[in-house]
Amino acid sequence: MPVGTGLAAAAAGAALAALVAFLVIGVRSGPVDWAALVTSSVWDPARQHFGATAMLWGTVAVAVVALSLAAPLGWAAAIAIVELAPRRWRGVLRGGAELLAVVPSIVYGLIGIAYLRPFVANLAGVPGGDSLLAAGLVLAVMVLPTIVAVSADALEAVPAGHREAAAACGLTRTEVIRSAVLPSARRGMGAAALLALARALGETIAVFLLVGRADGRFPSSVGDVTQRLVRPGQTLTTKLNGPESVLAGTAGAHWAALCAIGLVLLAGVALLTVAGQRRAGRSDDGGAVAAAPGRRLALRRGAGRVERVGGAAPARVGRDRVLRVLLGAALGANLLLVAAVVLAVVGPAGAALHPSFWWSPSVGSSGGGIRDQLAGTVLLVAVAGAIAAPVGLGLGLVVAEYAGPRTARWLRSLTLTLGGVPSILLGLWGYWLFATRLGWGKSWLTGSIVLAMVVIPPITVSVAAALGALPAERREAALGLGLRRAQLVRSVLVPQAVPGLVTGLLLGLARAAGETAPLLFTAAVFSGAPTVPAGVRNAPVASLPTHIFTLAQDSAEPAARQAAWGAALALIVVATLLVLAAVPARRRLGARAA
Amino acid sequence: MSRTAHARWTGLVAVAAIVAGACGNGGPTSDAGGAAGGTGSGTLRVSGSTTVNPVAADAAEVLRAKGMRITVDSQGGSAGGLAQLGAGQVEIAMSSKEVSDADKARFPDVDFVSTEIGQDAVGVILRREVADGGVTVLDKAQLQALFEGRVANWKELGGPDLAVFVYDKEPGRGTREVLDKYLYGKDVKAPPPPQSDNYAIVGGNEETRAKLESTPGSVGPLSTSFISGHPKLAALEVDGVAPTPATVKDGSYPMSRPLFLVTDGPPAGAAEKFIDYVLSAEGQKLVNRHGYLNRADLGLA
Repeated sequence: MPVGTGLAAAAAGAALAALVAFLVIGVRSGPVDWAALVTSSVWDPARQHFGATAMLWGTVAVAVVALSLAAPLGWAAAIAIVELAPRRWRGVLRGGAELLAVVPSIVYGLIGIAYLRPFVANLAGVPGGDSLLAAGLVLAVMVLPTIVAVSADALEAVPAGHREAAAACGLTRTEVIRSAVLPSARRGMGAAALLALARALGETIAVFLLVGRADGRFPSSVGDVTQRLVRPGQTLTTKLNGPESVLAGTAGAHWAALCAIGLVLLAGVALLTVAGQRRAGRSDDGGAVAAAPGRRLALRRGAGRVERVGGAAPARVGRDRVLRVLLGAALGANLLLVAAVVLAVVGPAGAALHPSFWWSPSVGSSGGGIRDQLAGTVLLVAVAGAIAAPVGLGLGLVVAEYAGPRTARWLRSLTLTLGGVPSILLGLWGYWLFATRLGWGKSWLTGSIVLAMVVIPPITVSVAAALGALPAERREAALGLGLRRAQLVRSVLVPQAVPGLVTGLLLGLARAAGETAPLLFTAAVFSGAPTVPAGVRNAPVASLPTHIFTLAQDSAEPAARQAAWGAALALIVVATLLVLAAVPARRRLGARAA
Repeated sequence: MSRTAHARWTGLVAVAAIVAGACGNGGPTSDAGGAAGGTGSGTLRVSGSTTVNPVAADAAEVLRAKGMRITVDSQGGSAGGLAQLGAGQVEIAMSSKEVSDADKARFPDVDFVSTEIGQDAVGVILRREVADGGVTVLDKAQLQALFEGRVANWKELGGPDLAVFVYDKEPGRGTREVLDKYLYGKDVKAPPPPQSDNYAIVGGNEETRAKLESTPGSVGPLSTSFISGHPKLAALEVDGVAPTPATVKDGSYPMSRPLFLVTDGPPAGAAEKFIDYVLSAEGQKLVNRHGYLNRADLGLA
């Protein structure tokens, strides 16, 4: 294995190891009463008592609210797109539904503040509307694209033959879906829900802006659940994102308790991510064979019904029509949500339409433009990309080429776990290691390193996929010419991997540009950072997401709101440009695979 | 094959552009500040209290125009600023409370030196309709009951028939500590937050004001300077004393507090310049402009 590739793999492995190590070191820096942590509802730093049931409840509550809305809607929309929509519309509809994923979570937080908090306040008569419910609702919108995308992949992987066979038995369109398509796609669609759940558990900023600052408490009875839902509470992630992480110091009982929460969170998210990805992966390769008997059974059941109810066709046709309308309505609701989100941002973001807003510095607490924030975000993202590209490429090569099947699977899980790590944990890691231990203070470089961790997994996944699509003849031809392995890698594999690298890089950067939680403690300040930082230590920058965060949180002035919406639109523009830039490379990947 | 070559070039150009962008934006250059007594790369870092923040932010803006590099941040309030000062992450902590023995015990190597730049009153701020309805003066016992969630309706305190909603500040905020110190004394820890549904926690001053303005029947501790020009809000008289410049100055209002810029050791270098500016006639005007009493008002200068 070439040194560079090995180094890249080692770097990624070290990063994840460091992340776990930091939490373990943190936990060991003070006494942690694990029993109290999972059974007590009193979190009282002043008395050194740390019970986290209120946070565990909050985490479960927002995730359940989000999933119970997003899963049915996302599944139905995916079915409508893949099974009912005309083939040529499929790509557009998928793209449209997945647009929700381009919007950074800080912007969802802003939307939640403007629309969902007042909604909950009116609904339940609770002042302010800071509540777990508001957070759950916004999370539902945020995880929807994950469910649609992964479910649609699973549906598209079902061979057309299954549908044709079922249709030939005289089944209606929705009966075909139920008896021939869903049994094969069920696994993948379940995986979609698991991955969405992992995303919901790890989300920090949008939830933080909507749950209020009180700890809330565990419901005292079943009837109390709704009362607790419409009131403030904390989740595991929001507790870590709050002021306590700065107040706790980086050792001692308080810090240890926070790290213990982090470990619980990391374990939960990692478990769900790996389980979800394994499920999703299996449904389109090995799964088809394993699921075959069940599918046959389902088909026979469907065929039996045809014989039995042959005469009552109109009832079946009627039911078919109703179901199709319902599925179509789910898709429609999905696209309406997209339109609503776009309007919600563009409507109040008038400030951003002035060119001067982009090129002038911000003034005071809410005036001026976003020049320095924009420059800071570009710097953070560019350096993150420069760090992540070689590491991600190297890791992808290791996974696809050098590692044996078992190591490759293990590495893949590692990568996916890294991709699922809640970004607040990355932020705290950067805060502990770089800002505190290495004494960098707030530094743009810490921010870039932390953001690189966000970008590496998509690059690795996308590079490994591109290499997996390499036709065997190409490799054989190269080996037949007598190329050594290093030459094979350089002249065949790396060129093959480049479109994957570019796609993964740009999509990863689009996500990184909108990350807020990792920057708050490590890299960003609200005012006074120079446009271009000098040096590394104590060289903070301004950034768009943290700018929006401060504006959204502290101020109710119309001017601050206006500035926040303007910055939100700018951030969306940055993310969209990065995603659009990935389209040509993505298309090339698709063309090559076909 | 030409497609592959094209792809390779696209990729290389993209990566090269990114690397070039990174360098052009000031990649790792020499670290000038490491040895200069922790003053960073010539940047003065200020962080802490959102009460002091407006003054420091204005002062920083003036000094920046004169070529100084200053960052101002308010993560975590006063305690956050002091913790960052203790950890060597900032040169000046803004604090709206005195440095406590607990702070000193946590950072035994740090020589906290506080420079008072003015004073402020923490008001018990409530909605105008409650004040107009008869709640204008409360004593310590009544305020304890209020902030411990034992008062459900303003009727119980002689006010209108309106549900009480309490906003308290999150732990570590200077405002909260001033209130707690008044309610429970210096050495007694405040009880944990009440388990009632008419109670919520807020962060910075602007957030507190926004919540109070939008919630009927609400009450919360907030610097009185933040309510001028906000007709929906009113300040209570505490123990019969209204928070006014005169009562803050003579000490009769029980919840007045000094505002500090805190340094590790006597201010030096950029920190000294910054603090000298805030103490100058021009800087002291900024203190007044944000509704606080400056040192001249207090007879300190």
